[in-house]
Amino acid sequence: MLAHSLFFYFFSTIAVFSAVMVTVSRNTVYSVFFLILVFVSISVLFIMIGAEFLGMIMLIVYVGAVAVLFLFVVMMLNISEQTTKQASRKGFINNISVGTIVALIIFLELLVVVAGWKYKSVFVPLSEVNLNTGLTNTHELGNVLYTEYIHLFQISGMILLISMIGAITLTFKKRENIKKQNYFQQIQREKASGVSLVEVESGKGVKIND
Amino acid sequence: MTEISLGHYLSLAAIIFVIGIVGIFLNRKNVIIILMSIELILLAVNINLVSFSIYSQNLVGQVFTMFILTVAAAEAAVGLAIIVMYYKNKGSIHVEHINSLKG
Amino acid sequence: MEYAIVFLPLIGSLISGFFGKKLGDRYCQILTSSFVTISGILSVFIFYEVVTQDYSSNKVIYNWISSGNFHVNWSINIDPLTSVMLVVVSLISSIIHFYSIGYMSHDPHVPRFMAYLSLFTFSMLMLVTADNFLQLFFGWEGVGLCSYLLIGFWYKKPLANAAAIKAFIVNRVGDFGFAIGIFLIFFFYGTVNYNEVFQQTPLLLQKQIIFLGFEFNLITLICLLLFVGAMGKSAQIFLHTWLPDAMEGPTPVSALIHAATMVTAGVFLVVRCSPIFEYSQVALNIVALVGMMTAFFAATVALVQNDIKKIVAYSTCSQLGYMFFAAGVGAYHVAIFHLFTHAFFKALLFLGSGCVIHSFNKEQDIRLMGGVWKKIPYTYTLMIIGTLALTGFPFLSGYYSKDAIIEFAFLKGTNIGYLATTIGIFTALLTSIYSWRLIFKTFHGKYNNKNNSPSTIEESPLIMLAPSCLLALGAIAAGVLFKDIFIGQDTNFWSNSILFLQTTHHEHIPIWLLIITPLITVLTIPSAYYLFLKNERVLKKFVLKNQSLYNFLLNKWYFDELYIFIFVEPIKKIGLFFWKKGDVDTIDRYGPDGLSKLVKIISDKAINFQSGYLYHYAFVMLIGFSILLTYLILY
Repeated sequence: MLAHSLFFYFFSTIAVFSAVMVTVSRNTVYSVFFLILVFVSISVLFIMIGAEFLGMIMLIVYVGAVAVLFLFVVMMLNISEQTTKQASRKGFINNISVGTIVALIIFLELLVVVAGWKYKSVFVPLSEVNLNTGLTNTHELGNVLYTEYIHLFQISGMILLISMIGAITLTFKKRENIKKQNYFQQIQREKASGVSLVEVESGKGVKIND
Repeated sequence: MTEISLGHYLSLAAIIFVIGIVGIFLNRKNVIIILMSIELILLAVNINLVSFSIYSQNLVGQVFTMFILTVAAAEAAVGLAIIVMYYKNKGSIHVEHINSLKG
Repeated sequence: MEYAIVFLPLIGSLISGFFGKKLGDRYCQILTSSFVTISGILSVFIFYEVVTQDYSSNKVIYNWISSGNFHVNWSINIDPLTSVMLVVVSLISSIIHFYSIGYMSHDPHVPRFMAYLSLFTFSMLMLVTADNFLQLFFGWEGVGLCSYLLIGFWYKKPLANAAAIKAFIVNRVGDFGFAIGIFLIFFFYGTVNYNEVFQQTPLLLQKQIIFLGFEFNLITLICLLLFVGAMGKSAQIFLHTWLPDAMEGPTPVSALIHAATMVTAGVFLVVRCSPIFEYSQVALNIVALVGMMTAFFAATVALVQNDIKKIVAYSTCSQLGYMFFAAGVGAYHVAIFHLFTHAFFKALLFLGSGCVIHSFNKEQDIRLMGGVWKKIPYTYTLMIIGTLALTGFPFLSGYYSKDAIIEFAFLKGTNIGYLATTIGIFTALLTSIYSWRLIFKTFHGKYNNKNNSPSTIEESPLIMLAPSCLLALGAIAAGVLFKDIFIGQDTNFWSNSILFLQTTHHEHIPIWLLIITPLITVLTIPSAYYLFLKNERVLKKFVLKNQSLYNFLLNKWYFDELYIFIFVEPIKKIGLFFWKKGDVDTIDRYGPDGLSKLVKIISDKAINFQSGYLYHYAFVMLIGFSILLTYLILY
């Protein structure tokens, strides 16, 4: 299992390093790239561990859609590089020490959970993990998803729909000086309001009130 | 150390989780970094769920991970839409300038 | 009947005070004056009964305090001493009421004035009809209050306000001593009713107490403290500074309060407490000494004053000194007799001065008057009568009372007595000089007034002259009519209202003593005429040679400046210190101001939490989350 662990360490190191670089790097575009790198390495880990459907879905959805969306917005908003010094920023939390200490505390507490889990007997070592059961991961996932969790599935679809509507509602701006056709109004026009017969005297012309 | 157990995956998830949290308030640049840090947090949760699912031979974790994926995508979309509109209205998304909640 | 005497003025005062605006000036004047006059007539009737039938009564109005063994009543107690005072107070008060109808006729606040006058009368009547120290103190404070209200009647004048406050505060100093005296009486006697106190006094003669670290004989201490109160009220030396300034009030006020009634409350107190004073020779000596000093001091100051009312005020002060040293040598009945006659002629002098001021259109400086005795003959006559009575011209009232004082002082036989006699005679000389100086400067000589032309000097209206004539009658006749009743050799008039431990025999008086004072009085008339009218240069040279003595007298022996230096300035500084440092800097700074500043500082710091920056909020959330997590894991 040496290869396994080698792969794990390698990709997890890349993941951690990229995660740090997401927050730290100067250029926002670089941050997005590092985010993509994180996603990729984590999906490799997923594939390695046997959840290949999820790994692929992560690549497609996270990297292909979400990260690209980030990139679109970053490029569109024209975010310039920031070079302000740390101490002179007003509002900036000048106490990185406090932040790191708090982060350390949370990290340790998470590990505490790890160290004290009671269901250790439930977990099997990786070597005994049944990877080949005849059905692919995708197949198995489909079996479960569309039968027992069908309602949640539909609801998550609705969540996506609503978020789409929400995003469009937020950003949609009606253009003011563009003329558009309003078919309904056009079709509903009646003869009485559209046409009127006027007696014209010769030589005088018609007054049209606009 | 050579035997990769559940603990390794969980610690990896913890590390990424903490990096994501730290990234929310230690960033000096703009609001998009905050959104990306949120994505990192969600990612750490995903790792946790998947590794639990594999090591306990139970597919529920992976199903739930899919849902989380869905919601994360939806949330990223709406969040970015908000940021775009905010930029259109205020002209800047530098974290220093977003303080209209100041009181 | 006694109820009517005491309460009619109160009713008049209340009606005039509360409904004066509605009733109108004329109605108020008539109402209050007639009530007080009825009171006066009833007092005369009571006096007559006391003289002829030895009438005395004690009518309880209301049971005031009844706590354990301590019983005090509101009551009206009539005995000889009280009846004399009743007559004096109510008669003079009614005359003054009528006078002020004329004097204050142009004043916009007539109902208020009449109300205050009647209220004063009521307080004074309460004072003299008390049968216990507490009601006496009530009346005492009441007259002090009315004095304040009346001196400061023209409250828009800052000088009047200052004078009123000064009177009240100096009185307060006296009242403080008086109150401590009453406390001592209650503490050792267990009661404050007169008859019980007077009965128990012989039992407590040897008692010594420690007061302020010194050992005193109890009776002496009580007498001294009561006398401090009398000093304040009757403007004896050291507590006299308010009396000349009190002349800022209207002239009827000066006549009523500062000549006839309020200032005599002190004398009344000492005489009323004669059963206590008689047992303490030390206290009596001190009373006599203070009286003498006051008489002498006031007479010297009156010599050089230029304001007509101030001269009469110092004259009052001096005559009160006479009354006190009469009481101090044991001749209480003579003191009351002098009080009786003094009320008449002093009020007459004040009212006459009021007429003079009225004629001269509010001019009060005698150097700016003169030469008008033909123009205002009635006023002139009244002033002459008053002056003759004051100086003790033979056969007028003042002669009988003042000479009686000097004779009794001589007959006492002790050193104090002889000293009193000498000072009494010398002060009589000074009294004549300054009284005739007033007359000559005001009515004779050249016309000196620059503001009014001589033709505008007119006689005062009848409403002002008629009451003064009544007083003149009293000034002339009161002496000879009542001499036998008050100080006659075998009179039993006073019965048990005054205690005499040793009776002084009035028979063997040396001849030279009998004639010296009237002789001085008669001889000063031509000398004063010479000094002040014929040959003023002699006086001017004398003044120039003794300029510092003149200034010393003119500035009232610098008492006011001394008091300002010793008391007023340090107290002002202490007050300022406590206000600035104590109140503002300490209590306010750490109290309300400090707290509000602290709240502001804290909230300014707390504002930083609401920075508006998202990551601040996220950070705070994170800290809270970690705390929660720690808590859940550890517990």
